[in-house]
Amino acid sequence: MAASTRPQVISLYRMMLKESSKFPSYNYRTYALRRVRDAFRANRKVEDPKVVEKLLVEGGQMLALIQRQVSIGKMYEAQRMVVE
Amino acid sequence: MLSPGKTVSSRLLRPALWLPFRLCPARTAVSFMQKELIKKRELEKDELRPLYMDFQATTPMDPRVLDAMLPYQVNYYGNPHSRTHAYGWESETAMETARKQVASLIGADPREIIFTSGATESNNMAIKGVARFYQAKKRHVITTQTEHKCVLDSCRILEAEGFTVTYLPVQKNGLLDLKLLEASIRPETSLVSVMTINNEIGVKQPIKEIGQICRSKGVFFHTDAAQAVGKIPISVSEWKGLSYVPLVGQRSTDPKAWVLCMCNADLDFFGSPAAEPGGGQERGLRSGTVPPPAGCWGWELHGAMIIRECPCWTNRLWPKKIMDEIPDVVMNFGDPKKRKTLMRVCLYGFSACTSASLEPSYVLRAIGADEDLAHSSIRKGIDLKSIKGTQH
Amino acid sequence: MAARVLQQCVRSLARPSLGLCPVNLALRAAVAPAVTVHRPFSFAADSRRTRWLGQSRISSVEVWCRQYGDLPPLTLETIKDRVMYVLKLYDKINPEKIQATSHFMKDLGLDSLDQVEIIMAMEDEFGFEIPDAEAEKLMTPEEIVQYIADKKDVYE
Repeated sequence: MAASTRPQVISLYRMMLKESSKFPSYNYRTYALRRVRDAFRANRKVEDPKVVEKLLVEGGQMLALIQRQVSIGKMYEAQRMVVE
Repeated sequence: MLSPGKTVSSRLLRPALWLPFRLCPARTAVSFMQKELIKKRELEKDELRPLYMDFQATTPMDPRVLDAMLPYQVNYYGNPHSRTHAYGWESETAMETARKQVASLIGADPREIIFTSGATESNNMAIKGVARFYQAKKRHVITTQTEHKCVLDSCRILEAEGFTVTYLPVQKNGLLDLKLLEASIRPETSLVSVMTINNEIGVKQPIKEIGQICRSKGVFFHTDAAQAVGKIPISVSEWKGLSYVPLVGQRSTDPKAWVLCMCNADLDFFGSPAAEPGGGQERGLRSGTVPPPAGCWGWELHGAMIIRECPCWTNRLWPKKIMDEIPDVVMNFGDPKKRKTLMRVCLYGFSACTSASLEPSYVLRAIGADEDLAHSSIRKGIDLKSIKGTQH
Repeated sequence: MAARVLQQCVRSLARPSLGLCPVNLALRAAVAPAVTVHRPFSFAADSRRTRWLGQSRISSVEVWCRQYGDLPPLTLETIKDRVMYVLKLYDKINPEKIQATSHFMKDLGLDSLDQVEIIMAMEDEFGFEIPDAEAEKLMTPEEIVQYIADKKDVYE
């Protein structure tokens, strides 16, 4: 990973994890957290700056999506699940 | 079960139980007994929600899919079939993108994709459509005993119309015997219908081989892939000889009840009895406005998504733990080599579609499970959102 | 007129509650351990949330009166314990291998993403945010303890 994008990626990772953990629904929350971790791990070795750039853009879109969905989820919150 | 009734009405109903089942007015008897057995109860305000394990019936919608659909519920509300204004065009573009996505998901041509309302409609359309279209020359249809009700019922209707239908038995492991199939194909056979993955026991039929047999004999082949999409890779170009594949999104994190049917391009039914009469949408095969937000955009994203996600979660689950830790659990079908595919789909049989009936599952009986086992079976379905992060 | 009526109402409401004050404090002391259970979701295992139930059995009410938070006072020792506890629960760390001075990447074989998750778990545990620029410098349990102590003004 190029040195310049590294802090960007780390901060994106942080923000995505933070947003994902706000899902009120247990299923979505655990899934989102797991998926974010998996996605970052899977692309950990990517070196090509163009690909990194593309992934960063995608990640940014996903982050916005998570934010939207979290707020929708909060509007229609239901009881917690027995596993929580 | 039924306690000795004191009221007049229950006394009147009781003798019905002595009659052989077929003679009972089936629906009324079932709904009456159902009321006695299953008490409906809504969750209280602070009560914790139970775990959801009925993912073969339907799945929670993926937030990404909802996100892709919402704009079309809010702002882009044109009818995709309106050809004269921008609202229609933007909806149409989105619908066609969705079609392309789905086509690439199953390796088909976009022109072969037809959006329908559900697997039941698709199956009905395919089976009755093909059989009736060729009824002048060919009046024989082959299916299996473990098919979904909608396939079996379509075949019943065909029988009433004078077609012959062969219901092939399955082996003890739930699989169809290919030699038996080959032997059953007659010159007047028009269609073979075998489901890809069984909705109750999760058995994956050798679709590729069945397709080859059908192709070599010049018979149409229909497979109900409703339970397969998103769980196993489907490729219609690889599974040669496939003519129809209904896929269901609601079984894999998609909006409920919106489905597409893949129909081979060189079959053209326009004006055939398969066609739903009306405005001639979807190549005249299925008239009626395609409800854009309800499905297409969901599918659009979904198509791309499950291609990516499939490998992410297929290696996550394996309920071996259940088998190891809970005593007296029997797997309803046992081919250890196939387990991985099977288990992803389901554990024990009992489907939502027939749960209105107290009769033990016909699928389980077809694979030779005895009455007690069939009665005590449960189906467990899991999906990428219902499983914990650790690998089993 | 209306304002005066309102004022009277407020006063009459305020008086009884003033009288109840000591009871309130005692009540809070009793409730406090339970409150920790409801803290927001965190990465580490759920069992972690309940452990204060065991540790915070402090009998004297005065001790509680001096605090404004719902947790016992922070000392270097408690910070260290809590940091190590969180770290040991992180699934990629071998609880036997970890020491105060072990470097996350060099000694424990973690990567930068793991480090982010560790820092987030710490934020959850101690209830405050660590900015990115400072978070990336925290590479050993010792440094984390020091950082938290600095932020929380703990020097003993």
